[in-house]
Amino acid sequence: MPMRTIALRELAFTGDGGLSVRADAVDVRTGKPEPQPSRSAGRARDVALSLTAVALLLRPMGPWFVRPAILAVAVLMILSPAMLRSAAAWGAIAVLVAIRIGDDWPLADNHVYLLGYWALAIALSLRTAGDEAGLAFSSRWLIGLAFVFAVLWKAVLSPDFLDGRFFRVTLLTDPRFGGAAQLIGGLSRQQLEANRKALQLLPAGAELLEPPAIAEPARLRLLAMAATWGIVALESAVAFAMLLPAATIRSTFRHALLLLFCGTTYLFAPVAGFGWLLLAMGAAQLDDTQVGWRRAYVAAFLVVIFYGEVPWADLTLAARWG
Amino acid sequence: MKMVAPALLAAVASAQIVLSRTVDLTAWKGGGFGMFATLDHAGYRGVDIVVDAPDRSETLQVPASLEVAVARAAACPADRALRAVAEAVVARERRQQRPVSRVTLTFWRADFDRATLHGSERSVRTFVYDAP
Repeated sequence: MPMRTIALRELAFTGDGGLSVRADAVDVRTGKPEPQPSRSAGRARDVALSLTAVALLLRPMGPWFVRPAILAVAVLMILSPAMLRSAAAWGAIAVLVAIRIGDDWPLADNHVYLLGYWALAIALSLRTAGDEAGLAFSSRWLIGLAFVFAVLWKAVLSPDFLDGRFFRVTLLTDPRFGGAAQLIGGLSRQQLEANRKALQLLPAGAELLEPPAIAEPARLRLLAMAATWGIVALESAVAFAMLLPAATIRSTFRHALLLLFCGTTYLFAPVAGFGWLLLAMGAAQLDDTQVGWRRAYVAAFLVVIFYGEVPWADLTLAARWG
Repeated sequence: MKMVAPALLAAVASAQIVLSRTVDLTAWKGGGFGMFATLDHAGYRGVDIVVDAPDRSETLQVPASLEVAVARAAACPADRALRAVAEAVVARERRQQRPVSRVTLTFWRADFDRATLHGSERSVRTFVYDAP
């Protein structure tokens, strides 16, 4: 006996920003949805685009002739589904970001470049109706390539990363990592201040007869080495997971790795904007059945906001030492 | 079309590596994703400015009005960026009625000892600009 189907109707946004009725086929005997030839990702894509628009608003960028235009377009995207799905609007964002990069080259941070590529990828995908798969593909390649170059710099091109110097010096001298150096590395505040003085640069050719010793507890050395190798391992894993053909790796693995990277890195790294962008791009790789992952990406986006805005290390240190 | 943006990323990041090897562009900037990979960043790079004129040879602290130009030159000490700093210095000195005939810019960056971690500045490039 042939399977009988009926249509379930659900309100959904249409491409032009209005509302439509969407129908899904359902087997009336079992009540289960019929297998569909391809999974829709329109809802997941909208979440990804919305997160990107929110990120634009959270970190205003660029000079006066770029910043208000980016903010205005982002506000309109939040307010209007039609703007959110407008290829022209995302194309404008890509152009504005390019102008911002060119205006003070080479001082723009790397995630600003990634934002420009991402806006371009969105604009190109929106030119073809229903090309969520194309956007997911661009997302995987953009994240994968960014991480390949990040690993290349750390593992091959930089002389002072794998030997631990980068994190050893950074933990001691960069105020943004001072909390971690004390909380996890076991340095006292006095040791941290003495180390900062001892590590002040000498002029070219100068040399101290008795250079001051640097206090580096074993825990701090361990933290530096764990950060060094941990970040290389995690970035390499994300790069592989994103660039391997989609059929050869479970999407669960890709999403778990990206969320793990964002959940750990941005607790310490003071570049929340990069984290938000990666999370928005990760959400674009979902289809509409992956509701749990979609919620996880949104939750991680919110968590990164708190990472950036709450001085958790200082508060913990104050609670510990008064 | 889905490869356009990734291809652009790969092209820019490859160009950044070339620029880092040829004109000392810092790994942290230029779209190559070399941030948090090396100590060779803005905190450990700089441009020293010396102004010469008859009866004058003076090292200048970087004035606020030149901070962005100097930051650009420190991040990528190519001729164009260094000349922009030198011209801005000359213009500023003359605005303030101070004589200037030559500006010497020295780009330096820091090296850190692998064992002791002590760092010292190392001069990498000197750029001399004769004021017209």
